Amino acid sequence: MNIHEYQAKQILNNCGVKVPAGCIAYTPSEAVASARKVSQRGPWVLKAQIQSGARQQGYFLGDKSGLGGIRVVNSLRRIKKEALAMLGQRLVTIQTGPAGKTVNKIYVEAFQKVKRVFYMALTVNSLDAAITLLVADVRDGDILKLALNNPEEILHLPLDLNNSVSQEQLQTIMSFLHLPQRCFNNLENLVRGLQKTFLDLDASMIEINPVGLAPYGELWALDAKISFDDNALFRHPDIMRLKDECEFDPRELAAQRFKFTYHEFNGAVGCIVNGDGLALSAIDLLKDNSSGAACFINVKGGVDKDKIAQGIKLIMTNPRVEGILLNILGGFVRCNLIADGIVAAAAEVGLNVPFVVRFEGTNKDMAREILENSHLPVIWADNLSDGVNKLLQAIREAV
Amino acid sequence: MSIFVNKSTKVLCQGLTGTQASFHIKRSLDYGTSVVAGVTPGKGGSLHLGLPVFGSVQEAVRETKASASIMYVPASHLKLAVREAIEAELDLAVSIAAGVPLKDMLEIKAMLKGSKTKLIGPNTPGIITPDEARLGIFPIDIHTKGHIGVVSRSSTLTYDAVLEIKKAGLGESTVIGLGDDILIGVDFVDVLREFHRDAATKAIVMIGQLSGAFEEAAAEWYKSQTHKKPVIAFIAGEAVPFGHNMGYAGDVITNGYISVQDKKDALIDAGMIVVNHINDINLALADLQ
Repeated sequence: MNIHEYQAKQILNNCGVKVPAGCIAYTPSEAVASARKVSQRGPWVLKAQIQSGARQQGYFLGDKSGLGGIRVVNSLRRIKKEALAMLGQRLVTIQTGPAGKTVNKIYVEAFQKVKRVFYMALTVNSLDAAITLLVADVRDGDILKLALNNPEEILHLPLDLNNSVSQEQLQTIMSFLHLPQRCFNNLENLVRGLQKTFLDLDASMIEINPVGLAPYGELWALDAKISFDDNALFRHPDIMRLKDECEFDPRELAAQRFKFTYHEFNGAVGCIVNGDGLALSAIDLLKDNSSGAACFINVKGGVDKDKIAQGIKLIMTNPRVEGILLNILGGFVRCNLIADGIVAAAAEVGLNVPFVVRFEGTNKDMAREILENSHLPVIWADNLSDGVNKLLQAIREAV
Repeated sequence: MSIFVNKSTKVLCQGLTGTQASFHIKRSLDYGTSVVAGVTPGKGGSLHLGLPVFGSVQEAVRETKASASIMYVPASHLKLAVREAIEAELDLAVSIAAGVPLKDMLEIKAMLKGSKTKLIGPNTPGIITPDEARLGIFPIDIHTKGHIGVVSRSSTLTYDAVLEIKKAGLGESTVIGLGDDILIGVDFVDVLREFHRDAATKAIVMIGQLSGAFEEAAAEWYKSQTHKKPVIAFIAGEAVPFGHNMGYAGDVITNGYISVQDKKDALIDAGMIVVNHINDINLALADLQ
């Protein structure tokens, strides 16, 4: 689960990380009041709060100015005008897709003057099973470009699970970044703060891009992104409350409520599967032979037939879906419960597109019997390739 | 022969008295697995499915000489369950739990280091040696005894791989699901190494996935071997646009951006046979003969 920048900054600040004074605003006049609250005089920074990177390089739909989602402003009058231009509008970035995301709130910050910036993040390295601190001297903020072209320029430091960052590791960072010696204590506070946040709150990734080095050696988190481990949210009800439902597609949100995953693509076939591997191989095959997948739902280890029915309905009612491919390999999942779910969903919302079904594994014969007794127009498939071929043919014939 | 488990492996079940455990342990017993005990804290002394239930793993091991555990414990209890397995010096623990917190897995991985216990999973269908032992949730009617080793990061594609082997008229020595979480117990290298030592395994089917760098590590290990058994590999996810959140965001910055094609190239370069679709596996197997 991701949270907004202003929320991440507040959390990090509670763990000792320095962040500029800021205040959230939902209307242009609140933006002015927020600006007054954080600083007597400008400049201020207005930051659109959507959960996406590269907001500065983004643009607003229908806005000819071409200005992005991060704006430095010098006067209070100007704040009102810029806030008006951003609030309620859709901001498009390289991460949001062409539709963009609606900006419902703006974070107003006191502008912090810095001499230079760098990149710092905490993540988990799966091969070493260790929390890893990443540091890079990225002055333009484009860490992905660096990761692609010069990965050796990123410093990786494994952090101990039970001990704070060591003095040697801090010294390594100091020399890697050529930081002045007076930064040492500030660096220690920063790294300790990130480490504490990561461990205490079960984060899966914390990214400060950038950290700003101020004239007197202070280190400021000028931006902040925290992703939390979904599997550990049950330990943090206060974090769970920070989830912003506006950030999700309504179908995705509905699927999440049943602990399923739902994704959309650009094609015309809806897929119902019980594993990401099954979804990915179906998407690959559809892409090779047609316009590709429209969406998929992964019902994972679902064994509650009512939830399964609700999940299947999300695919059946998606207007872009011209045909449905159901590929279930039952282990923990029992095929008969999926079949019950299909019948219940079809009874409620109807089944108006070609529907190809493949069952394998636990209770597949029971499942077949249930669907045959339901008299739904099901096309049976033996394996994935067979299923894709039969479905694409049925879609062609239906047109 | 086989790897990790066979018909003489004595298996205990942590969390035996739960509903899902009962369903699957009954199937494992019917399959011929030598399940000898159950462990449920607070329910020691009772009988369940005809098996003696103990209050702790240590007690169960002392009484039954079990050396492997299949764990049907919820994700939030996995850390405690693994600790018990390690303290009882079991050779193998298998966890099917989905949704284990990342931090718990970091701690579990640290505990496993230097212990004699190997963990398969979590979030895996488990391990099965056909006609001998089933630890997990595998369907019971798709496996055939044979000479192909199967190792997979994707649970459901494991079943598809097994069906492909059947289609080729072959069977499996042992089938292992590694689980597809960010952190896992044994990985491709551990399992490939065992399959190479196992006389019954003549060839290996390996199913990788988009995220993590376990496939690259496998390629590196395989490349360094002088005596290689044939490996047929498949990785799904080619058509998924980059950044679609199917992988793990940290991967990009930790390991550089690795596409499915990059992974395939690494495996081919190491000498593996890479197929483009899961249903091409049976043809690749036929070509080996």
